[in-house]
Amino acid sequence: MERTAPEYSKTGNVNSFNVNNYYNGTIISDEYAEIMQWLSPLDSRRRHHDVRIDRLDGVGNWLLETDQLREWRSDEAGADEAVLFCCGDPGVGKTYLRQASRSFGRNRNYC
Amino acid sequence: MFYCDFRDRQELTATNIMGAIIKQLAARGEVLKHVQAAFQKARTEVGGRGPRLPDMVQMLKQAVSTFHQVFICIDALDECPSKHLLELLESIKDVLKDSPRTRIFVTGRPHVGAEITKYFANRLTVPIIPKAHDVKIYLEKKLEMDPDPEAMSDTLRADILRIIPESSEMYVQAQSPFHA
Repeated sequence: MERTAPEYSKTGNVNSFNVNNYYNGTIISDEYAEIMQWLSPLDSRRRHHDVRIDRLDGVGNWLLETDQLREWRSDEAGADEAVLFCCGDPGVGKTYLRQASRSFGRNRNYC
Repeated sequence: MFYCDFRDRQELTATNIMGAIIKQLAARGEVLKHVQAAFQKARTEVGGRGPRLPDMVQMLKQAVSTFHQVFICIDALDECPSKHLLELLESIKDVLKDSPRTRIFVTGRPHVGAEITKYFANRLTVPIIPKAHDVKIYLEKKLEMDPDPEAMSDTLRADILRIIPESSEMYVQAQSPFHA
């Protein structure tokens, strides 16, 4: 019997998670939900979903072209340059730019 | 992606933020298996207990090590209360020691930069200002959705699309000493 973890199935996210595909039935969805709650009461996926829908195509693409972003995303750079800080005052669009930056590593894993 | 959302402020502890990041990586079975083991072990302790920050650091280290490269994005870092922010930065630094390829993308108001520098002296910085190009895309979309387009003359429309994007860039540059 296949059961889908409730939290992710609601979002329609591409990372929808089917527990039994990974676990051959050893984790049932009740325990999965408990583990997720135990890890953190915070749920970032829902907010991300909303921002992704609202952002217009092309907005923020300039960020991908900056030297800082190119330097930072290289997997040859070490831990010294691991942190990229996008700073700005409230309302300038930092959240939406972060969404645009999703494309900085296509085919890689996001968190 | 993690959002330090103001509405969740009470719960914005370093432990919870780390947990939210691990949650997303736990979509990979190998990660979930380790998390499940930690969960079951914690449950056997008296009364069961929530995960502690050192547990989170270990779990995140393990999770990150199963990927070639992980990008962690934390939005609105300045919303995180100062005590938790420092703990969070220290924990991330600890994870990076083991996985130097991991990339951390954070956003926040300029003042939070000083705290980030304490832990990551070589951080890269990109100041975010509204770009005329972005504002124009937004305005075009809004004008397209105008329920009464007949009321707008072509001249007015052209003026809106020319003047507002230009002035939005100038306005921010004039307002913020940071970008001056």
